[in-house]
Amino acid sequence: MPSQPALPPLLAPYLSSLPHTSLTLVSSILGATSNWLVLRFLHAALSTSSNQHAASELEDVRTDEKRKVVFVSFMRSFEFWKSEAKRLGLDLARLADKEQFAFIDGLSDLFYTPQVSSSSASAASPAGRGNSTPRTTLPLRSQPGPLPGRSLQSPAIASGGSGLAPRSQTELGVAKKLHFSGRGTAALDALESDIVSVMQQLKPSAEDGDELLLIVDQPDLLLATTGPSLGIGATEMAEWVAGLQQHAHATILTMAADSPLIHNVSVSRAGGHMPAPIETEHAGFAIGLAHRARSVMQLRTLETGVARDVSGVLRISAGGGWIAGKDENPEKEVLYYIQRDGGVRVFGRGES
Amino acid sequence: MAQINLAHRRTHNLLLISKLLSLRDTASPLTLLLDSLQQPATPLIREYIRRAKLSKVHVTLVAFETLKQPDGVDAFVSARRKSPADLVREVGAAQQLAGSNSSRRRLILIDSINPLLNSKRLEPGFHLPSFLSLFLASPSASATAQLDTSLVVTYHQDSRGPFPQHPYSPSPLSLLTYMATSIITLHSFSHILAQKAARDRSVAEPVFGLDEEQDGVLLGRPDNTVEGIVLELEHRRKSGRGVLEWYLLPPTSRYSPQQVKEVVTLLDDNVLYNPPVQQDSAAGDEEPESTFELRLTERQRRDREGVVLPYFDAQQGNGPGEGGRILYDMGEEDDFDEEEDEI
Repeated sequence: MPSQPALPPLLAPYLSSLPHTSLTLVSSILGATSNWLVLRFLHAALSTSSNQHAASELEDVRTDEKRKVVFVSFMRSFEFWKSEAKRLGLDLARLADKEQFAFIDGLSDLFYTPQVSSSSASAASPAGRGNSTPRTTLPLRSQPGPLPGRSLQSPAIASGGSGLAPRSQTELGVAKKLHFSGRGTAALDALESDIVSVMQQLKPSAEDGDELLLIVDQPDLLLATTGPSLGIGATEMAEWVAGLQQHAHATILTMAADSPLIHNVSVSRAGGHMPAPIETEHAGFAIGLAHRARSVMQLRTLETGVARDVSGVLRISAGGGWIAGKDENPEKEVLYYIQRDGGVRVFGRGES
Repeated sequence: MAQINLAHRRTHNLLLISKLLSLRDTASPLTLLLDSLQQPATPLIREYIRRAKLSKVHVTLVAFETLKQPDGVDAFVSARRKSPADLVREVGAAQQLAGSNSSRRRLILIDSINPLLNSKRLEPGFHLPSFLSLFLASPSASATAQLDTSLVVTYHQDSRGPFPQHPYSPSPLSLLTYMATSIITLHSFSHILAQKAARDRSVAEPVFGLDEEQDGVLLGRPDNTVEGIVLELEHRRKSGRGVLEWYLLPPTSRYSPQQVKEVVTLLDDNVLYNPPVQQDSAAGDEEPESTFELRLTERQRRDREGVVLPYFDAQQGNGPGEGGRILYDMGEEDDFDEEEDEI
């Protein structure tokens, strides 16, 4: 099979031109994950300014604009995203080095407290890039050129940190690791300020035409692992997202929309028994965000079963935040197929 | 009869929706917009703002969901991380700022009440009716002129909150529908058309979006053929009488933002929803069409009318035996048959 362009032409307009303060919700299910789409968003934002891999005509027009991406992932580690992006010709580590890209790891240390000296414990609070705590990722800048895949020993070890503390710092390109502590909105505020501080580092001065794209991968993990018992529900999560949105040019959010997480609320309520808190809160969060989103990209499997040449269906719909008349109707439904080499073919029904 | 009824509804109910959307005469102090992902209330809220601007009404938006201040909004109150009491205070302050403005009419929009109702930080003593009535109360006693304040609250029907804490307390939706003076439920026009088409053929009505209960589907399948929003209005008059009507709000591209003339029409007046009935009355006289000539010529018809039927003759009373005979005058085209045509 011939190799596919990194950006499928059918999707290019949806991936690149995101209006200001817009929210794009990407919903996925177990059989149709959103990773490939997130990578396409990354590529659309970063490719032209990094390597001259002209993906499409649309992209070439905007080469003079510098776009930056802050990527918060709650589901996958940086290693995964780095190797997947490399298949598309994106070198995330080098982009992080050039301060065009920042990765925030929301998974590894979210609930893990390193038992170390007090110096690293303070890293949970927003730490600036120029800070001298062992957790910052300053050493990135001193690396000569791109060194993809090879992990480096952080100078933090040399600076006298304890043996445990730099464990997480050996990974190249991770700007920050989120750590959840406390409960309720205070804990969310701490996470928010962590992310915002990274975003601020990336755009030191508010240059015009500097578009900062925020991608949050599966924040529903945060909701699922905390929940109402910690004072976090759908409203608090939505407010957290709104807080992050205010600092970014455009926001892309991925979220699970599997049937049990969305539909059990109405089904069990009709049956007269209580839905589980996670069912109520997740449905409230997902539907609330869809009401706010400008466009909702829904991934799902084929209703008719498994096909050899179709991986799933992508439905692009206008969300509640889409304003009629301002831009054209974004609604569309296409099929996609992920090839073995990671390339994605996107086509309409009945086409090939 | 149906025609007269429709004309009556057209005059009265169009006047009513025009009054409600343009906030005239404080026709409805509390309007509840029930929307869903299939048809969000955003276009209707824009329409409210557009009309408010035309008639110089002061607009306050309490934003639980909106990030950016939309055009035409005079005061924008972000509700993020704020307690209900703070919100009332801020809205009051915004209204006071505009106090110098001569406009007496106020519109307060709440873009979505769901985040407030589902909030975990809500105190147990939170009382929704008194919260909403605080907005309606005059913000300052010093204001001499009576302020006409209308409150428009949006509630997402598909975003269901947790069960009420108290088992005997009603759900927030029941409370809202009980308090509201007008309830507007929004539907997508294309879905209404699809459902009507199914009804007309007596098949099960299709469902869309979340109601499909399909894995991974939040919003229904894209349909760009018809645009427009169907408004299902339930208005409670002061007398207590209720008015139920279905309207159609066309997409904003169909009219200019400055248009003063009413843009909303009755749903029954729409040709797509209610196609004009074919005029069958004229076709009543027509004979069935076929390849044979079944009609009579003018002469044949005259001859047939000239036939005196036997019972007419029988009524003459010319004696028994005489009446009832079949009298037939042979025409030239008749072929005389000796066996049959004996007279």
